[in-house]
Amino acid sequence: MTSTDLKKGSAELLVLSLVEREPRHGYELSKLIESRSRGAVRFNVASLYPLLYRLEKRGWLQGRWVEKAGQRRRRYYRVTAEGRSVLKARRRSWSEFVAAVRRIVGPDYA
Amino acid sequence: MPEWRREVQSRLAGLPLDPARADEIAEELAQHLEQRYEELLGRGIPAAEAEGLLREELAAGNVLENELRRLERPAEPPPPVLGAPAEARWLRGLAGDVRYGLRAMRKHAGLTAAALTTLGLAIGANAALFSVVHSVLLRPLPFAQPARLVTFWGTAPEKGLPVVNYPQAFYVHFRARSHTMAGIAAYDGIGLTLTGAGEAERLEGANVTADFFRVLGRAPALGRDFLAEEEARGRNLVTILSDGLWRRRFGADPGIVGRAITLDNIPTTVVGIMPPGFTFPGRTQLWIPIPTDPQMLNCWCYSTIGRLAPGRTADDAAREIATLSDQFWELREGRPRRGESRAVAVPLARDMVGEVRTPLLVLLAAVGMVLLIACANIANLLLARAGARGREIAVRCCLGASPARIVRQLLVESLLLALAGGAIGLIVAIGAVRALGPVVVERVPHVQRLALDPVVVLFTLGLTVLSGVFFGLAPALQGTRIDLHRTMKDGARGTPARAGRRLNDAFVVSQFALSLMLLIGAGLLLRSLRNLLEVDPGFRPENVLVARISLPSPAYREPQIAAFQTRIVPRLAGLPGVRAVALTTTAPFSHGNNQQEFVVRGHEPAPSQPIPVASARLVTPGYFAAVGTRLLRGREFDDRDREGSPLVGIVDESLARRYWADGNAVGAQIRLGNLSSTNPWVTVVGVVASVRHGNLAKEPDHYLYAPLAQLPVGQMDIVVRTSVDPVGLAPAIRHEVVALDPALPVYDVHTLEQAVSRSLGTYQITNRLLASFALAALLLAAIGIYGVTALNVSQRVNEFGIRLALGARPGDVRALVLGRGMRLVLAGVAIGIAGAAALARLLGSILFGVKPLDPLTFGALAAALAAVALVACYLPARRATATDPLVALRYE
Repeated sequence: MTSTDLKKGSAELLVLSLVEREPRHGYELSKLIESRSRGAVRFNVASLYPLLYRLEKRGWLQGRWVEKAGQRRRRYYRVTAEGRSVLKARRRSWSEFVAAVRRIVGPDYA
Repeated sequence: MPEWRREVQSRLAGLPLDPARADEIAEELAQHLEQRYEELLGRGIPAAEAEGLLREELAAGNVLENELRRLERPAEPPPPVLGAPAEARWLRGLAGDVRYGLRAMRKHAGLTAAALTTLGLAIGANAALFSVVHSVLLRPLPFAQPARLVTFWGTAPEKGLPVVNYPQAFYVHFRARSHTMAGIAAYDGIGLTLTGAGEAERLEGANVTADFFRVLGRAPALGRDFLAEEEARGRNLVTILSDGLWRRRFGADPGIVGRAITLDNIPTTVVGIMPPGFTFPGRTQLWIPIPTDPQMLNCWCYSTIGRLAPGRTADDAAREIATLSDQFWELREGRPRRGESRAVAVPLARDMVGEVRTPLLVLLAAVGMVLLIACANIANLLLARAGARGREIAVRCCLGASPARIVRQLLVESLLLALAGGAIGLIVAIGAVRALGPVVVERVPHVQRLALDPVVVLFTLGLTVLSGVFFGLAPALQGTRIDLHRTMKDGARGTPARAGRRLNDAFVVSQFALSLMLLIGAGLLLRSLRNLLEVDPGFRPENVLVARISLPSPAYREPQIAAFQTRIVPRLAGLPGVRAVALTTTAPFSHGNNQQEFVVRGHEPAPSQPIPVASARLVTPGYFAAVGTRLLRGREFDDRDREGSPLVGIVDESLARRYWADGNAVGAQIRLGNLSSTNPWVTVVGVVASVRHGNLAKEPDHYLYAPLAQLPVGQMDIVVRTSVDPVGLAPAIRHEVVALDPALPVYDVHTLEQAVSRSLGTYQITNRLLASFALAALLLAAIGIYGVTALNVSQRVNEFGIRLALGARPGDVRALVLGRGMRLVLAGVAIGIAGAAALARLLGSILFGVKPLDPLTFGALAAALAAVALVACYLPARRATATDPLVALRYE
């Protein structure tokens, strides 16, 4: 297994979970990932947007330009029904994976 | 504030994006960058530094461009540029897979070694056999447009003559009138003695019509072709040499063209040298024109070939030749004939390959089956490993690897395995071809040598890749079908999906089916061979040496021939170790067979009935003792039967029984030739046992023997029965012949045993190869069922533990395991019996004394296979009962 696979898979999981409850735009997503991970995970602009486009292309996300009064229009991403079920499955296997790793590595280090 | 939008646009410029889409992306990214720039400034970072940081983030390893290029549909297809980033990425991924695959092979060294050995042997055997099939059946003959060439002959099965060659008169008649063939040539093999310039040597030659080479579409490489006027007596003292003879005897001297060499004591001018590799017919070393005679009817010995006219088929030619044959008799006898003659025309290539075709195809099918079985075994091994790797694959899926990615990796692994196996296979094939080469070259004259040429290597590569895909696909597809949830939840041991187990089972069933087919095929052939070896040939071949000499005319006319014969026999009889000596025109199982029509006085056939045919042999007194043929009635020839004394003959039992119920033909009178023949009547003085000639599987012909002294002929076989090893006597025999005439070569020296076993050669080789393929298949199938049963046991350890804990007896658990394995085996056996029946029908034509559906062979081998399988299943079954319930349960 390569680190690319790892990063790619987990990034998708992160993005999907962040838009699960409400639509968000790209900058907001990058800030949330950074702040909720306390700075441990950061996406820069060059990798974040291709990721969003890819999820959009797979039909897991839907992006839409939204104009709010007095503001420039921005692109908001919300999760689709398909994205939701993917998220559910990924979330489950991820927690199993983590639990499995934890069983092997031990709670102190995981 | 930097112009972020322009910045992004310039980065997107090189990408094949729809302009509107590029605009949108630029807008979205620019907003992000602006906001982030503000944020950085807000944190007190100087403007220049913030700008630099963001530029760096945007540029980072061209991630943006690469990712977008992969994602976005191009506005128009990008020009195919070698090494473009997308492909480079794919290749990098592939390289990763290859590295990973090699690592996996090293890690599972045992499995890898087993798979490679199996594959190497199977692919090697396939490559070797394919190289034989390629040179014998597929490679075009060394003629121009060989597919248009046919060979044709007359046929009269009602006389027991399936093949009747034509005399010169017919050939001349055909050549003048055929429309279905653009050219017709005739030829007849002859032996010629080359003297002068070194030791006297007997050469294989051919008498050919002047257009022989033109019909075949080949011309001499040096010198000229024969001229039409050289088809005449006196004008035909010219010859064309084969490249081999020219190099061997004349040192490839181009000056030989135009010079005379001495053949059968006659100076003959060399006019041309054929190109290398041309030795048709057979292994001809030189060609001489036939003086064709439109009246000549006394040698029905010419083989005929024709080049089909455009749009005509071999069947057209056969019909036309039959009609022309009728027409010939009409013209000659003035009596109308219609539809009485029959002819057969077959593609020359088919005729030249002859008897080796069926065995070769059977062997190719067999060796292909061995490879299939081997692949099924490896697929099973890999399936087992794929099961064990379930978790690894599941983790990769969770982390975002796509199914295609995983299939690719697994396929790369199996292809690597296959390629390594293929490389070993090539090495095996080189060895096998080296061993098979001489055998094939000896039996198929138009094959000069056997080699692994590029076509064979390409075939091997193709076979290798196919094998890799075949045994890699099942595990790979199964890999993607893993139930992530279950696999992650289960214990450390992988559990293959139900589908995987079903695949395992299907492979085992087909392995047993294929193995049984091969075993039965080999069994049938083995029984045929045993039956053949038990056939009484009518003579005793052990301790008999045969050697051929020809007394050339004009030095030898009848008196000289008779004198030579009376002098050579006592000389040879005086050699130490010799028990009996005789001369004959053709010894049993030697080349050639002189067949003659005959009439028995008082039993003349009605004019509408066919004239019977017998093999005719001229022999000296003591011949029957020398070859070991029993005298049943009357007497043998002796010294009373000489020139001028009453004509006598000996017939064989089959001829005698045809006319006399008690087989007592002594005293009867027989004449050679048809009803109108003027040959003298011969009185039968003895009856001998029937002998087979050339083929043990063929019923004996009728035989007529006459004393050589009454009809001296210059070509003869010396037959010597010895009390010592006959091979050792060859030099002494040669010495005695040369003492009488130093210019006489002694050739075609062999023992009778060799001649008989040579006639079985193709049989024996086919048999040996098929038997070894069948054993290999059996071994592989046994390993296969063992592996699958063992896997099954190891996966069900818990279950067995629980069963044992709950009170099951070890016998019950054993029965459970055995039952499952044997169900598969029996299914395989059932399918295998059906398959073997089909294979046996294909073998039918080469079986002897055993029916294709011989119940004994089928039953015994099916039982043997089942027994082997039982042992292979029993070993893991015993292990299942050895499970300690406590240990098994602790795993839970």
